[in-house]
Amino acid sequence: MNDGKKLFGVAALFDTPDEILKAAKTVNNAGYKNYDVNTPYPIHGIDKAMKLKSSKLGYVTLFFGFFGASFILFFMWWTLAVNYPLVIGGKPYFPLPAFVPITFEFTVLNAVLSTFIAMIAVVFNLPFNSHPLHDSNYMRNVTSDKYGVVIESEDPQFDENKVNELLRSLGGKNIERIFYPEQKEFKVFQPRFVVFLIIIAIITSVSTYVTLNKLMYLPPFSFMEHQNKGIAQYESTFFYDKREMREPVKGTIARGFIPYAFTGVTDTNEFYSNPLLPTQKVLKLGQEKFLTYCSPCHGNYGEGKSRLRGFFPPGPTLHSARVIGFSDGKIYNIITNGQNGIMPSYAYQTTRDERWAIINYIRVLQRAQNPKPSDFSAISEINKESGNASN
Amino acid sequence: MPQTESNIRLAENAGYIKKELPKSLSTWGYILLIVGIALSIVSYKLDPARASFGYLAGYIFLLCIGIGALFLVSMEYAAGAVWSVPFRRVSELFASSVPFLLILLIPLFLSMKNLFVWMNPEVVAHDKVWQTRMNYLNVPFFIIRDVVIILIWWLFYHLIIRNSRKQDLSLDQNLTTTNIKLSVAFIPVFGFTISLFSFDWLMSMVPKWYSTIFGVYIFADAAWVGFAVVTLASVLLTEKGYLSTKIKKDHYYSLGTWMFAFTVFWAYIAFAQYMLQWYGNLPDEIIYYVHRWVGGWKYVSLFLVIAHFIVPFIILIPRSSKTNPKILIFASIWIIATQYLDSYWLVMPSMVNNGFTYSFRFTDFAFPIAAVGLIIVLFTTLAKKHNLLPIGDPKLKRSWDFHL
Amino acid sequence: MAIDYSLELAAIEGNPPLKELDEIIIKPMVTKPSRKYQIVLAITTSLLIIGAICIGITFYYGIGMWGNNQPVAWAFDITNFVFWIGIGHAGTLISAILYLLRQQWRNGIARFAEAMTIFAVMCAGIFPIIHTGRPWLAGYLIPYPNQHVMWPNFISPLVWDVFAVSTYFTVSLVFWYVGLIPDFATLRDRTTNKIRKTIYSVFSLGWRNSSRQWQHYEKVYMILAGLATPLVLSVHTVVSWDFAAAIIPGWHSTIFPPYFVAGAIFSGFAMVSTVLIFIRKIFDMEHIITLDHLEKMNKIILLTGSMVGYAYIIEWFMAWYSGSPVELFTTLNRAFGPYAWGYWIMVSCNVFFPQLFWFKKIRRSVPITLVIVILVNVGMWFERFVIIVASLSRDFLPSSWHYYKPTLVDMGILFGSFGLFFTLVLLFARTLPVVSLAEIKSIVPGAQPSHGENQHE
Repeated sequence: MNDGKKLFGVAALFDTPDEILKAAKTVNNAGYKNYDVNTPYPIHGIDKAMKLKSSKLGYVTLFFGFFGASFILFFMWWTLAVNYPLVIGGKPYFPLPAFVPITFEFTVLNAVLSTFIAMIAVVFNLPFNSHPLHDSNYMRNVTSDKYGVVIESEDPQFDENKVNELLRSLGGKNIERIFYPEQKEFKVFQPRFVVFLIIIAIITSVSTYVTLNKLMYLPPFSFMEHQNKGIAQYESTFFYDKREMREPVKGTIARGFIPYAFTGVTDTNEFYSNPLLPTQKVLKLGQEKFLTYCSPCHGNYGEGKSRLRGFFPPGPTLHSARVIGFSDGKIYNIITNGQNGIMPSYAYQTTRDERWAIINYIRVLQRAQNPKPSDFSAISEINKESGNASN
Repeated sequence: MPQTESNIRLAENAGYIKKELPKSLSTWGYILLIVGIALSIVSYKLDPARASFGYLAGYIFLLCIGIGALFLVSMEYAAGAVWSVPFRRVSELFASSVPFLLILLIPLFLSMKNLFVWMNPEVVAHDKVWQTRMNYLNVPFFIIRDVVIILIWWLFYHLIIRNSRKQDLSLDQNLTTTNIKLSVAFIPVFGFTISLFSFDWLMSMVPKWYSTIFGVYIFADAAWVGFAVVTLASVLLTEKGYLSTKIKKDHYYSLGTWMFAFTVFWAYIAFAQYMLQWYGNLPDEIIYYVHRWVGGWKYVSLFLVIAHFIVPFIILIPRSSKTNPKILIFASIWIIATQYLDSYWLVMPSMVNNGFTYSFRFTDFAFPIAAVGLIIVLFTTLAKKHNLLPIGDPKLKRSWDFHL
Repeated sequence: MAIDYSLELAAIEGNPPLKELDEIIIKPMVTKPSRKYQIVLAITTSLLIIGAICIGITFYYGIGMWGNNQPVAWAFDITNFVFWIGIGHAGTLISAILYLLRQQWRNGIARFAEAMTIFAVMCAGIFPIIHTGRPWLAGYLIPYPNQHVMWPNFISPLVWDVFAVSTYFTVSLVFWYVGLIPDFATLRDRTTNKIRKTIYSVFSLGWRNSSRQWQHYEKVYMILAGLATPLVLSVHTVVSWDFAAAIIPGWHSTIFPPYFVAGAIFSGFAMVSTVLIFIRKIFDMEHIITLDHLEKMNKIILLTGSMVGYAYIIEWFMAWYSGSPVELFTTLNRAFGPYAWGYWIMVSCNVFFPQLFWFKKIRRSVPITLVIVILVNVGMWFERFVIIVASLSRDFLPSSWHYYKPTLVDMGILFGSFGLFFTLVLLFARTLPVVSLAEIKSIVPGAQPSHGENQHE
């Protein structure tokens, strides 16, 4: 009956959970070590009867849970606080409350997957999951509605007759001998398998390439460069004069532009008066603009000392009685339109307010050259005050 | 309660022998109660305004224990739980503080001027938000509302506990049916009333601040500490042989699991509130947490996270600690103490809103001492009259067969 | 009828032999599908195809095919997402939380509910991806070192969503599969068909029903249940934070996390009930999925429906108590504004109709239950619609107020998601055991050893 097959063990079936509990207890007490109880569903108390140690898989969960939590926290800290620090929503670089959700999710994911893998790898011994019990009549019964005990031949106490007797005395039915399946030689590098591996490798690489380089490829952000727009100095394919840079339509006025109404009029006093008060701020502006645009010809103090060393006709002094007598409106007119064909217009260099500020500054220069007695007393008072302060 | 023949047999079947609790326990209870009351009076004489805040913290602590225990009783009936039947009488005894909450409310009503900004008409006159809220927070409505809330709790306490005690003698299964109906009615009522109560006494202390989850927060606290007191008393009584001999590790395990579950639940609710207000960072909202983050409060807040969540969480994770009586006792004492800390943390930083400055004072602890004393006195007094095990409950027999 | 509380209620009716349970549960897998099944499958696949076409149109022409426009930037897409994620929650609740609570009646319905979880999460997963407008770039949500040195913004609730939903899907799948392993072994040993045997053998992972295996298996199942429980709460919490973390009135509310979770369980149970009512009838499983089970589910629907009602009331109260005019306006606008119809559908279906379950007669009446649970599903869909669309359509600038109207493509995608869900459910019902064989056997009366004195040593 053996047919040269190796005996795996002897199995017996039982009908009720009470019987199987008793059988498990008896077999265990008889000193057998390599035996197993197969039931269609977990039976309460069977682990006690078999004196099984409780499962240690919980430690895997614990370890990988903590590992996952610390890993993902470290990772988020590294990406958002170290590798590419970015202020988001006014939060600190390491906003712990905002990291809690992902930390939690990743912890659970890690714990679950590691526990599952530990179970199928350690307990089920994957990928070596074939077992002599498979496809036996015994197996078909215990996966449906019977409860079975199998005592393996590897047990040091194994003696087929004794085992048979024990199982029969417990009321076991369908006592069955189970054999190892015939061993088949299994060559790892079969051509079919190698081809299979190659195909898998090709599919993986191609799909990875396509996913990462084609599907998920983002061109660098250069949308601004590639829009349909005219660029100055480029040849246009659209306009007949082939210029991309266009001139504004005739009569176009810039925003905020106010035309100067008095071109050619020499004295505009009656129309214009200085809108700016000679405040410190205005004078500061006037000084700055005066030194920039006026002082090269008229001199730093308006005294007519040109810095141009004769390359351009020097400007007249601004302290002459004639100029002192000019109204603000007239000076404005001169700055805006130029004078005598020598002084050019400064309308493009200065804004309207700047011109008025320059005029205020000129008035200050003129007063400084021809001070009134009241000015001296004012200065001495200022000196006194500052002297007291320094003491 | 007179013992009849059948009653004694039932108790024997349940492994329960009625014994007097040790005298020293009730003595200690009275000592704590008297010391607590004396210290409270001292604290009041020293600084009445400060005492009203300390009193509120103590009151919330007592309320969470009493109402939490009552909630557990009703949960057991409503869910048809079997494992918890041996511990139900213990929860009922803890719930006995519910009627006292009404009397203890009087000092709170008297100190409302200290507690609430909105009692100051000048503040209200200059604030539109307070003016809106005054439709709800005005004194008469406030007092009537809270008295009615506690009366409702008292009513349910009275009915449910009366039926439960009656069953010890009559063994009438209809009483269970009645109690299930009462409990099912109580749970939604409880949900709304505890929310309103917490809005009134805790949320309205902070101007402009509001949080829709606040009622759930207090509920989580109450249920958590409810399980802790029941665990503490049940495990102690079982280990000393006052409760049934038939209580197994599996029952302990369930108690531990529920404490664990509510630890996590509180953490969830507290985090949900904190995270959203921190994330939104709106001035009216975040002020609540700013008050709890300035000065030494920062360390209290951080310690609260550790004590309220991390410590019980780690202690109660392993299966072995959920079945170990010593660890369970430690964990439940820890939880009860932390619950007081939480009440303190909810109340005290809000002193700032009324212009008071907080500094640590030992006199604040007069109130929790008195509360613990009151609970022990009530427990020992009632335990003399009633069985500690609901021996007449039809589900009790099933509870002995309970296994994981 | 007086109830005897001293007796445990049987989790299933009668005392069927274990073999017969196998036969009943496996029958749909081995018999030829009936005509009705084919008709229903044809309907659902047509819906699925309509949905697929609509998604294709969206991809081809862009998001402009939808009714979304500023300020209603989120509409049907996110509504459907939240709706389907919510449906999924019941499955995990039944399989994990009720397992931890040792509610044996769950054993009959857990498998089906878990499968529905997975299908619902699959439906849900479509929407966040398509609503971005460039779904092919979704890979950037995964933090991997890329050529732009770009990392996901881990501070954004939308990225939390990615982690939450993908974790939820993975864990549900693992949990479901772990539950299926012993059943695959049973199928493997029953079938005579060679192809089926190979498939079942592969998926059963060499399972032998050995007590040494069961011991680890039960531990793992317990651990998975313990982890899935906080996970299921966290998923809808994170979904709620998509809204609540913003400071838009009507969204920025601290009660959102528990309120969304309760709503999710509520709608999920309603969907499970809807499907189970048909399944138990069609597959003759009325004694496995009994009226008691439906009644208990109705009680949970009542409980969670009341929680949702609590949240509605607290929202109203706080809108007024806060004294903030915008909060009050948002709440009033929901109830009496242009989307008032949606609001009142939501309130009536979620709060009023489930209150009928206070009556035992209604709880135990299958037709009325069916009507109410379908209404609950409708109501919960509208809840998300009201939260999203009604809040957005009237934002801070009255000049940009906009009345959102769905387009045909919007509707097509919504129906398509239902098509996908029910197609998967129907296919599942015929390819895998809809009731867990091992679990249902373990609660048959007499399936566990009698508790003799030997138990208490």
